[in-house]
Amino acid sequence: MIQVEGLSKIYRVAEKQPGLAGTLRHFVRRRTRDVTAVQDVSFRIEPGEMVGFLGANGAGKTTTLKMLCGLIHPSAGEVHVAGHRPQRRQAEFLRRITLVMGQKQQLLWDLPPMDSLRVNAAVYGIPDGVAQRRINELADLLELGEELTRPVRKLSLGQRMKAELLAALLHEPEVLFLDEPTLGLDVNAQARVRQFLAQYNRRTGATVLLTSHYMADITALCPRVLLIHQGRLFHDGPLEVLADQLAPEREVRLELESPVEADALAGLGRLEQLEGCDVRLLVPRDQLTAVVAQLLDRFPVRDLDVTDPPIEELIGGLFRQGRV
Amino acid sequence: MGRYWRTLRRFWGTAVAVQLEYQANVLIELLAVAMSLSGSLFLLSLFYGPDQTLGGWSWAQALMVQGLYTVFDGMATTWLRPNLGAIVTHVREGTLDFVLLKPIDSQFWLSLRTLSPAGLPEIGLGLGLLAWGSHQAGVVLTLSSLLTVLVMLLAGGLILYSLWFLIAATSIWFVKTWNATEVLRALLASGRYPLNAYPPALRLLFTLVLPVAFLTTVPAQVLLGEAAAPMLLAGLGLAVLFFAAARAFWLFALRFYTSASS
Amino acid sequence: MRVFGLNRRIIRVLLGSQYAHMLEYRAEIALWALSGVLPFIMLSVWSGSDARSGLGLDGSALDRYFLSAFLVRQFSVVWVVYAFEEDALLGRLSPYLLQPLHPLWRYVAAHLGEQLTRLPFAALIAAVFFAVQPQAFWVPSLGGFLLAWLATWMAFAIAFLFQSLIAALCFWSEKASALERLQFIPFLFLSGLLAPLTAFPPAVRAVAQWTPFPYLIDFPARVLAGQPVDLLAGFGAQLAWIVLLLPLVLLLWRAGVRRYSAMGA
Repeated sequence: MIQVEGLSKIYRVAEKQPGLAGTLRHFVRRRTRDVTAVQDVSFRIEPGEMVGFLGANGAGKTTTLKMLCGLIHPSAGEVHVAGHRPQRRQAEFLRRITLVMGQKQQLLWDLPPMDSLRVNAAVYGIPDGVAQRRINELADLLELGEELTRPVRKLSLGQRMKAELLAALLHEPEVLFLDEPTLGLDVNAQARVRQFLAQYNRRTGATVLLTSHYMADITALCPRVLLIHQGRLFHDGPLEVLADQLAPEREVRLELESPVEADALAGLGRLEQLEGCDVRLLVPRDQLTAVVAQLLDRFPVRDLDVTDPPIEELIGGLFRQGRV
Repeated sequence: MGRYWRTLRRFWGTAVAVQLEYQANVLIELLAVAMSLSGSLFLLSLFYGPDQTLGGWSWAQALMVQGLYTVFDGMATTWLRPNLGAIVTHVREGTLDFVLLKPIDSQFWLSLRTLSPAGLPEIGLGLGLLAWGSHQAGVVLTLSSLLTVLVMLLAGGLILYSLWFLIAATSIWFVKTWNATEVLRALLASGRYPLNAYPPALRLLFTLVLPVAFLTTVPAQVLLGEAAAPMLLAGLGLAVLFFAAARAFWLFALRFYTSASS
Repeated sequence: MRVFGLNRRIIRVLLGSQYAHMLEYRAEIALWALSGVLPFIMLSVWSGSDARSGLGLDGSALDRYFLSAFLVRQFSVVWVVYAFEEDALLGRLSPYLLQPLHPLWRYVAAHLGEQLTRLPFAALIAAVFFAVQPQAFWVPSLGGFLLAWLATWMAFAIAFLFQSLIAALCFWSEKASALERLQFIPFLFLSGLLAPLTAFPPAVRAVAQWTPFPYLIDFPARVLAGQPVDLLAGFGAQLAWIVLLLPLVLLLWRAGVRRYSAMGA
């Protein structure tokens, strides 16, 4: 469904000193510098796959995504999406894809989502009856009801994102590009969006390429991940392989009824911190369930929390360790 | 083509719905138009004493020009400002990407997305003023002169749109110069008065570089029977030329956007 | 020592930071300056019109009047209501209200910074004007210039206070900024920006004298252009408007802030 071969993007950036003098100097003698955003990236994605796209800020994720949509022209390399070359942005191509950006919205602020949906139906040439049926189906899946008839400005962030998804999927695209679709949402709303995407993929067989800051999005949805760093593709494969590499341990935070000695925690992972009743342990992923069960069994636990370090940190750690 | 037509109806349907959310604005707009028009007429009257003309134009004839100006000003309020003013917002907030990913022409979307009914009374008043001025000036309406004026109005609208769009499209490069259209608006105000009221150098400027003359003075001359076919052709030619320039410039701007944006 | 909550240090810091901020927007400000060309368009219409003789501005006096009107307008443009609306919308207002400095001072400093940024562009436009109309060139006397400067600043003060009053009304209604749009229309036609007040019929002129508008453009422009004017009456009227508006603004702001904090917005 998606074929990328030797994809590169080089920007020419103007170098300008700040201030008026700098502007004038720049005007007289332009100095530019080439910045490589994406370098020689190749991969294939088969129809129906859900692929996670990881990388630190500025690694080239969004640039790649935009090249796949045809919003940015590649400097070198070949891209084929759904049998089209995206950069030509032909109508037949655009009808088969969609782009959702977590931090940007296409719905009209002052109007209910329904009005924007009607506009989209007309733009994509979907007959009204068909559009209404799809809206009902998608609204059902997304658990949207009367929100569709309330002005967007009065919706919560989570409701707005769900409405954005509905608007982006009304034309039943075969390829979904999702850039941080859960950004800023609370945990419940994140889970809802995630669940919806999985359902949508199952029902329609759509191909999904997804970036996210939340590891949970990736673990829940994407059996395969692409990791991009400084414009280059560093990993392409199952998530488990990468996850083990990135985060072989998870952090368990405990709050106990009464203080314990460090000895009592021996064999229950690596002790990071022990201050009276507060304990932090790093536990290998595969032992997690066993360790948590033992902890609950042996100690008077008031609170227990298992966290994944943020993905940025993991990737940062990975590159600091020089493992790739 | 049918899809574009249906889209347009949806666009304007939602635009009216937005306006209905803010009913008080309509009243304020109405008041502003009434005040503004009385001010303009008062200002125009200052140029006229007994036996006085403005660049050889009588009071009634000048009213026709003022009426035409009001029509175009209303057109700007109704159509150009809400649409083309939003382009820079799209660029700044990155939502232009959504527009570019729609299977519909992006210039069509950006130019016709919305409509502000608040400017419609101004268009109506302008047309009324034009009719009254024409009547006072002794214009004999024929079907052909009416049709000619209609064509001239369309050509003028197209020129105005193209100029405005050209400037608005530069926001792809210069996000910070969003108020460049304010300069255009200030210069367009020269269309309030007949071309002959200006010194020769400015007349040339307002005819060839910034063709304000074709918006107000020339249509009034057509009605008065003073301008003939060549003028009409020149107006139409300019309109086509400006529109082609706006279109070419937009395609060029998009090429830049897709190769340089990040 | 603090006067109205200000001391030398606060003034220096406020003005310095606002000037630096406005320099960042110099491209916009240059375009704003350029969009003020309306007086020149009106000058070209007035110059060739039959009605010119009634203005009492012969020869180069008319050119000088409209150039002066342009300059006075450049340095008395006020946009506090728009800045205020944006700050309120983006939630920047609450931190300002917590500071031991009246928020209006911040806007005053922003306007002065903008005027300083605008200065070279306005001067450039004036230079172009003189290049086209060399016979209109004049250098005002030092005394005349200082008086014109003072009159322009007083005009700025009146316009600023007037708009602050409208901005304060925004505490009560979102629609208040529409008032600004509505008051701009009589300003445009009665201030002298488009026609010198001597062009008006006596009755209209008499009415206009009782509005603040002629003291915003016509009076300072005449002082700058070196026209004979009744300085006492002009400055007296400007002062009277400031004395009238200042307490109103302060009272309304205090009430507005109280309402704002009561709403907990």
